[in-house]
Amino acid sequence: MTVLNRSPSTPARLAPFSNEPVLELRRAAVRARLEDALTALDRGLPLEVPVMVGDDARAGAGSRFDSTDPGDPERVVARAAQAHEGEVAAAVATAGEGFRRWSRKSAGDRALALTRAAGWMRDHRLELAALEVRECAKPWPEADADVCEAIDFLEYYARGAVALEAGRELIQVPGERNELRYAPRGVTAVVSPWNFPLAIPCGMAAASLATGNAVVLKPAEQSPACALRLVEALRAGGVPAETISLLPGTGEVGAALVKDPGVHTIAFTGSMQVGLEIVRAAAEPHRGQHHLKRVVAELGGKNCVLVDADADLDEAVPEIVSSAFVYAGQKCSAAARVLVHEAILEPLLERLAGAVRVLVVGQAADLETVVPPVIERAAKERVDRYRELAGRTGRLVAAAEPVPEGGWFCPPTLATDLPPDSPVLAEEIFGPLLTVEPIGDIEEGCEIIERLPYALTGGLFARDPATVRFVSSRTPVGNLYVNRGTTGAKVGRQPFGGNKLSGTGSKAGGPDYLLQFVEPRAVTENTMRHGIVVH
Amino acid sequence: MDRAQPSPPVEKRVDGAVSNPELEREIKQLGGELHGSFPSALRHPVRAVDARAMEMASSDRELRAALFRFVDVVPACRSLDDVARHLTDFLDEVPEAPPPLEAAMRIAHTKAGRAALGAAAARGVRHIAHRFIVGETPRAALSVLSQLWNRGIASSVDLLGEATVTAAEADRYAHRCAAALAELAAAVRGWPERPMLERDATGTLPRANLSVKVSALTPLLRADAPALGKQDAARRLRPLLVGAREQRAHIHIDMESLDSREAVLDLVLELLSEPEFAEGPSAGVVLQAYLRDSPQQLEQILAWTRAHTRTPPLQVRLVKGAYWDHELVQARQQGWPAPVFEVKAECDRNFETLTRRLLEARPAVRVAVASHNLRSVSHAIAYNRLLGAPDTELELQVLRGLGDELQDALAQHGFRVRTYCPVGDLVAGMAYLVRRLLENTSNEAFISEQARNTPLETLLAAP
Ligand SMILES: Cc1cc2nc3c(=O)[nH]c(=O)nc-3n(C[C@H](O)[C@H](O)[C@H](O)COP(=O)(O)OP(=O)(O)OC[C@H]3O[C@@H](n4cnc5c(N)ncnc54)[C@H](O)[C@@H]3O)c2cc1C
Repeated sequence: MTVLNRSPSTPARLAPFSNEPVLELRRAAVRARLEDALTALDRGLPLEVPVMVGDDARAGAGSRFDSTDPGDPERVVARAAQAHEGEVAAAVATAGEGFRRWSRKSAGDRALALTRAAGWMRDHRLELAALEVRECAKPWPEADADVCEAIDFLEYYARGAVALEAGRELIQVPGERNELRYAPRGVTAVVSPWNFPLAIPCGMAAASLATGNAVVLKPAEQSPACALRLVEALRAGGVPAETISLLPGTGEVGAALVKDPGVHTIAFTGSMQVGLEIVRAAAEPHRGQHHLKRVVAELGGKNCVLVDADADLDEAVPEIVSSAFVYAGQKCSAAARVLVHEAILEPLLERLAGAVRVLVVGQAADLETVVPPVIERAAKERVDRYRELAGRTGRLVAAAEPVPEGGWFCPPTLATDLPPDSPVLAEEIFGPLLTVEPIGDIEEGCEIIERLPYALTGGLFARDPATVRFVSSRTPVGNLYVNRGTTGAKVGRQPFGGNKLSGTGSKAGGPDYLLQFVEPRAVTENTMRHGIVVH
Repeated sequence: MDRAQPSPPVEKRVDGAVSNPELEREIKQLGGELHGSFPSALRHPVRAVDARAMEMASSDRELRAALFRFVDVVPACRSLDDVARHLTDFLDEVPEAPPPLEAAMRIAHTKAGRAALGAAAARGVRHIAHRFIVGETPRAALSVLSQLWNRGIASSVDLLGEATVTAAEADRYAHRCAAALAELAAAVRGWPERPMLERDATGTLPRANLSVKVSALTPLLRADAPALGKQDAARRLRPLLVGAREQRAHIHIDMESLDSREAVLDLVLELLSEPEFAEGPSAGVVLQAYLRDSPQQLEQILAWTRAHTRTPPLQVRLVKGAYWDHELVQARQQGWPAPVFEVKAECDRNFETLTRRLLEARPAVRVAVASHNLRSVSHAIAYNRLLGAPDTELELQVLRGLGDELQDALAQHGFRVRTYCPVGDLVAGMAYLVRRLLENTSNEAFISEQARNTPLETLLAAP
């Protein structure tokens, strides 16, 4: 089969992918560098985030909005322009232009731009992490891991797209030549959340770009400055301005963007509610729209951790606590419900309670902090509501209190004795609240998990290999973690994404992810002329 | 025993190792003598059975993993049936189980068979555990400790426990330590005099000796925020130091994984810098030679001893390190450079370099060389003699169950040997036990080499 390399100028072969190492923060010399980075960042605040449509970066014709430090809402981190409808349309049209040129490049050339963007991020690594500390209250280790994941996505998808360009093997018989190749789809609307403010938009954009699509990015209104840095990185790496545009703004900007008939793919990560709206909007073809929009969605979760009677609690307790409370539980992969074998309910509950009480709640910039403030006032109010409900209809076993004043702090809390139909047990809270329920056996736990609409991550602490096999074949979750925490998926190691109402089953950072951003084309050529096979 | 004269400094080889014919001669001589007093397997029928089980385990990786995972889970099993089920489920994963285990699997098909298998397996685990763990409580351990003492062997007690994840658990551990100190201190008063174990050139050596783990003294030990755990542990370690001083006991702070090293070392050195502790208690820290940056650590410790002259001097226990696999796996997973040596000989060479540096740094430190490696131990003794120091100025340490033969040989030859004696119940001891089993069956370990009947000459060769 011929190799479908359209450009012979493929750059030098890329080294095999490996994950970007996180900072070795256990070394004092490494920790010492963080404070300087933060001071330098603070000097430049607030940052200005414009609407960027191709080469045109404007302050925005209309209104503006701020992103603030969740730990100190008085501190404005960024002043962003709110994109208006005309800019949305212009961005999509520009991306359509950009797509024509970008899609003609070889995957190798595109990979070069993406890996250069990764290099730019490496060079600005601490600055980027510091920005996440301020804009999203991500504690340092989490912020650093997010930057590393963004780098990983760029490097991983760049390589994946080069491999994909070669197409797939088909059956060949004499007299015909069969080829299967993958072509980019067009313009991708990337609509991203604030909780992984660099990695998630970067992953969705990088997958699109690597495979030859153009991108219009609408980041969460809580983290416009992080998105600006992403666009800067991509452009610094050599992604043309017309191929990556930035539309800061609130929900209506995203709604307008996904409705635009010039959009071919919508890559969304966020809540189930918004995700379903997007799926509905995308299903409606506009006049003159000759394609079906594809939605790649990563939605919420209500992630359960099963703890069997033979679990090692020395290991389970710290892992559960960090899965539930690190970054104040604001990860779609975070643990929310513990389903524990009744034989060890008491010791587990007691040890979890003690471990929750010593959680350090504080500012994200402080390395001692495990539980930073939640992202904004509305989030705090939501978490407080669920907490109040849990206290009223169940029992609050433990909390780390009091919490600092000033920011959007919520006390990390452990609750139990909730009625089986409690909303606390069914809905995604996205905050530092963990519940515990006894189960008669692991099978009962699996049934509870099956009844949930979500199927994102799951945890299992058990030492009998038969139990591990049983649970892994039985639970529908996209990512099952056995005898470890449920968060921290690594690119190339834990392809990440949920099933059922948790998402479209796409696996970010896995070998199949890029297939969502391409359309397959088969070419069959008759190679027989006058009874002679010419090829 | 005759003693060599002080000799010119040893010479560096190209690979950084040291060659000194006189030292090597002394090592061979000593190693041969010590080895000569090891009992043969024949005189230890129980050991011979254990040895065969261990050999079976070390020869087959999958089987080894299955058996260790089984040993690990036994205390968490709720019934003999549960024990048997776990055993068979683990063995199911081994592609080719040896015949005795196949037979075990067959009897597990009936309930009665499972009960019998479960009972036998649980007995087996308890039997192995007793080899490494001296008793369930300090009181229960006292008779073993006094027997050791009567045979000329000192001890250090280590209280096994579950991981500390709550403040209550940290308090409980601190309380157990305080109680153990009191109990030990009271008991040792009745022990007969053993001058070799009780005195060196800098003064008396306490009879009561407790090893303490900082990770058990606080739930807040975190690699990226060492100050937090350090402060929390200090609250609980300070009263223990006061107790040890009042009761003339020694407190030794164990070293754990690299994630906690900074907190642990800073904690101990800061507390011991307080004027209150300038004249006691006797205390010590651990230096792990498997860490590539251990020479810098040692310099940090020595700089501290120069800045803080205290009596008695700080004891430094030199070890290779118990978390080698953990350190390597963690570094691989994170993409960090390996903090430990990856070639065994490099680790052994570094151990010898650090041994010499430590011995030369006396009297600012007291030196304890903790190893079951006949070469490493002989090197320490030989170098000490080469420096012209009496044997009393060097302490040798072994782990209960791992270094019993070496311990006996050292005591018999008149050296000061201290045996680290873990105390605790099975559940609490499992992590410790599994680590020791892994160590016992790891291919590169000196004790496995020795068990494979590697010629003495090879065992004693310079690394
Ligand atoms: C009394 C006492 C107290 C101790 N306290 C502590 C403590 O507080 N903290 C602690 O960490 N350890 C401690 N140890 C040490 C540890 O538990 C082991 O017993 C010791 O590392 C075994 O070394 P060895 O010299 O007896 O045997 P050897 O067989 O000579 O060495 C085995 C050791 O070499 C190292 N090693 C193995 N493979 C490799 C390789 N491929 N490359 C490089 N290095 C390798 C590992 O450290 C391994 O444990 C203590 C030991 C004793 C005797």
